[in-house]
Amino acid sequence: MTLAIAVGFLAAVGTWLVVRGGAVRLILGFILLGHAANLIIISAGGAFRREAPLVDGQLLAENAADPLPQAFVLTAIVITFGVTVYLLSLVARTAKQSTKVEDETIGRVESEIDPATDPASDPASDEQGGSS
Amino acid sequence: MLVASLALVGLTTFFVPLLVRYLGRFTGYPLAVVFLVSAGLLLVEAPAVLSGETIVQSWQWVAAFDVQFTLRLNGLALLFAMLVLGVGALVLSYAPQYLDPSYEVGRLYTVLNLFAAAMLGIVLSGDLILLLVFWEVTTLSSFLLVAGNGTAGAWAATRALVITGIGGLSLFGAVVLLAVKTQTTDIATVFAVAPERLTTTDLAIIGPLIVLAAFTKSAQLPFHFWLPGAMVAVTPVSAYLHAATLVKAGIYLLLLFSPLFLDMPAWNLTLMTFGLATAVFGAFQALRQRDLKALLAYSTVSQLGTMVALVGVGTSAALAAAALLVAAHALFKATLFMLVGIVDREAGSRDLAELSGLWRAMPITAALTGLAAMSMAGLPPLVGFVAKEEAFYSFLDTPQASWTAGQEWTGIVAAAIAVLGAALTFAYSARIFGGVFFGPLTQRKLYEPSWLFLAPAFVPAVAGLVLGIAPGLLNGIIDRTTVDVGFAMVQSDLSLWHGFSTALILSIIAITLGSILHFRRRWVMRWLGEEPPTPIAPVIFDRIWYGTLRFGAKVGRSAHTTSVGVHLFGVGALLLGLAIIGFAVIPGAGGGLPAMIPGSAQPVDIAILVLLVPAVVFLARTRSAIAALVLAGFVGLIIAVWLLLLGAPDVALTLLLVEFLTVVVAAPVLSRLPVHRDIGRSTTAAISAIVVGVVSGLAVWAFTGRREASDLSEYFLAQAEELTGGTNVVNTILVDFRGLDTLGEVTVLFAAALGLLAATAVTIRARQDAVTEVLGAGERAVLRVGARVVIPLLFIAALVLFWRGHDEPGGGFIAGLVAGAAVAVASIAGISLRIPSAFALLASGLAIALASAFIGPLVGGAALEPIKVDVPVLGSLTSSLIFDLGVLLIVVGLVRAALERLDGLGMDDEDGREGTTEDGSGGDARSTTDQATGVAS
Repeated sequence: MTLAIAVGFLAAVGTWLVVRGGAVRLILGFILLGHAANLIIISAGGAFRREAPLVDGQLLAENAADPLPQAFVLTAIVITFGVTVYLLSLVARTAKQSTKVEDETIGRVESEIDPATDPASDPASDEQGGSS
Repeated sequence: MLVASLALVGLTTFFVPLLVRYLGRFTGYPLAVVFLVSAGLLLVEAPAVLSGETIVQSWQWVAAFDVQFTLRLNGLALLFAMLVLGVGALVLSYAPQYLDPSYEVGRLYTVLNLFAAAMLGIVLSGDLILLLVFWEVTTLSSFLLVAGNGTAGAWAATRALVITGIGGLSLFGAVVLLAVKTQTTDIATVFAVAPERLTTTDLAIIGPLIVLAAFTKSAQLPFHFWLPGAMVAVTPVSAYLHAATLVKAGIYLLLLFSPLFLDMPAWNLTLMTFGLATAVFGAFQALRQRDLKALLAYSTVSQLGTMVALVGVGTSAALAAAALLVAAHALFKATLFMLVGIVDREAGSRDLAELSGLWRAMPITAALTGLAAMSMAGLPPLVGFVAKEEAFYSFLDTPQASWTAGQEWTGIVAAAIAVLGAALTFAYSARIFGGVFFGPLTQRKLYEPSWLFLAPAFVPAVAGLVLGIAPGLLNGIIDRTTVDVGFAMVQSDLSLWHGFSTALILSIIAITLGSILHFRRRWVMRWLGEEPPTPIAPVIFDRIWYGTLRFGAKVGRSAHTTSVGVHLFGVGALLLGLAIIGFAVIPGAGGGLPAMIPGSAQPVDIAILVLLVPAVVFLARTRSAIAALVLAGFVGLIIAVWLLLLGAPDVALTLLLVEFLTVVVAAPVLSRLPVHRDIGRSTTAAISAIVVGVVSGLAVWAFTGRREASDLSEYFLAQAEELTGGTNVVNTILVDFRGLDTLGEVTVLFAAALGLLAATAVTIRARQDAVTEVLGAGERAVLRVGARVVIPLLFIAALVLFWRGHDEPGGGFIAGLVAGAAVAVASIAGISLRIPSAFALLASGLAIALASAFIGPLVGGAALEPIKVDVPVLGSLTSSLIFDLGVLLIVVGLVRAALERLDGLGMDDEDGREGTTEDGSGGDARSTTDQATGVAS
């Protein structure tokens, strides 16, 4: 129950921040959504088992938590960190180009990075002897 | 011997760069020797093969699918293998003289060698999957060879790749169908069980797939147009690929699979129709070309058409004729390409309008060209004539085949078309010879090329003559080939003179017609039109290509918005839809939700919530970026504590460290940005927020905490220690059980770091010494002294956590983050650490992780399997430790990259180069795209 409330709340605020817009809000919202997702996965293991999943010959604790969601979440956290860092770099790059960061600058970055060029756009340019 | 032959050529590919370093363009000579030795290894087996044996060598390859690495040598394989290696040796000894000293030969020779190995693999392979793999390698390497160095060949190479690639997919489909239906991938077995296992419907599907693969590779109508386009490649490549080997692969495929389709008239009809049409069309187009290479390309198309048609006739004699034509064509076509290249180098042009009268300047070249052209035109006493005669015989005998049911007209029609093709062939062969070498000599200062340059062309030209005079030499191999393709033994009696027969009359007619076409050339050309017309097929191809791209752009336009809300809208809508469906269906189905297991919510959770909710609310409402960052860190801390309470110590530790690092990395970036001005309507935001929140909350409430432990978790908890030797089950899942997933995940980290390095190649300067600027001198001193104490401790802690990760909370990720934290502390305090650059860390980490995956197979286990080793002092170690080391390095590399690029502080890399010292000027003049070096240069 409490996990559900927490997840719902984090997801709601995270979405609100992301949709609301602005580079900083985007990153913060992304972080919150990440937390929400991690909690969802952890809760899938069943929050009624709350002991650490360590063994030593036999299970150390009766009520050991499900180790599989924990493994997922561990890598998810690190990857979220990586993506956050990448988002920050994009923001920093646009911030370098303008002192104020607004929504449009994100758009500007997008159009810079998004070439519409076909690498071989001129078919008439190459044939030797004109026969093909 | 088989595998030795193949391995010799294949492994040489790795040594080519080394050879090129010392020999430059003369690398061709040793490579030619390698090819000859390889051919010799195969010829050792030739006597056995010719007497009816088939040599097979086989190894386990993919046990799970029962795929073997099988090589087999029969007559068909021997014939083609000799072509591949023989012509290869010739072309490789031709290339050094042809290539410009300034040409970039390394790539050419390497890929050429690779291609030859793959082609040899195709003809030697006895397993369907192996055949497919080699087939695709030839497609890829031919793409590289045609593309050459630079953009000139790009479009032609792309076209060739797409068309032959489609054929490759088609072959893939055929192979899969065959394997599924016959339960085996061994070619011999497939043919053996085919009559029982394959129904007519199966064959009706497999047949067209194979035909498509062969037609695309062998440039038949309507897939022919990539071949003339591929002439942008350098002449040695054209001489090898497009004369003798690559395009013959399709013919080989048809020959190989003929046994399956002996009783299907559709097969024969298709092959004959398309083959003969292509033969005439190609010859027709060849006649209109001015560029010699284009002429030869169309000529190849035409000859391939004849070969396809012969395979389609369906009698043993026709098969024999096809095999003979394959050999003869390789001989004269390779010669012609090489000689055209020689003329091009010597006279500077390939255009027939510009060349004339060269026999006076280069008589030997003229003589050799004459020999090859005569062979192509089908004049005695060259082998081309023998082949053409056999072809005529076979076409005339078409009524004998089982599928024609004795209808005479088939023979007459086939022979008539063949005669037309032969006449056109004679005409364009005469054109080459006459156009280049006869007439007035307009160019001065032309010399006979050196004998070294001419020798590789000399050999096949003379061979054509010798085999023409004594074609009986080929009887054995031709007979054997016919048997291999599933027909009755033919008992060939190849000879130059068979008496006055219909075929001879047809030849005479063809030659006469051809002569008329040639000597009345001006009249003919005026009737045809002087300039070669723009071919239609490539235009259609281009239209389809661009049409597809435009369609893709149109589809993608809906995502070309900068508003985040639009992107998320789809996600939100989907969630809502799923929720509605879920709540409608589930309460009814299966008696509703199971009961919630008690204990899912405990009192301490409420305390956590009490802390969490206000923090999040403040986070959403704040206007200061730094405050937002601190609050985000606080939220992370709370959740980390909650995770600890939920029994996930590893995860909690990871989250704590990530929060710390996020704050450190983000602070310099976010501190410059105000969280200002709300763009975007708040109602949309509010509604989507509420929807997402409610749905996810309800979903968690409804779907979790209602069942006992899953079987999977029981399995891991029970088996972990025994199978992997580790007692920290979470870590064993990460690096042992699900090691492949983790490998993928660290690759994602690697990519994110690369993206970071690329996006910040223009170095970002937030502020130098961002943190220490705001501190007073005394505080700075404390920070530095403290940092010097803390940093080594952190590194030691990282080492300890790494070491004990398998048994207690710890492991590669956590240790990497702790080490990253040490680097972060150093960057805050302004201390420079002598550690490798970000890119070095990332690359070595990924390499180590990948390498550790192969330790298992080396000792006979599976990839990424933990191998336990007992080391004297340290106790028992597992190979997953090495994998974890790779993970650690990647994480540290990511952190280092982030700190270095976003923090703006210089870090020494191991070469001692200073990180950037910035003078604070705005736009960085050094906006070099030297990204991903990790050293902010």
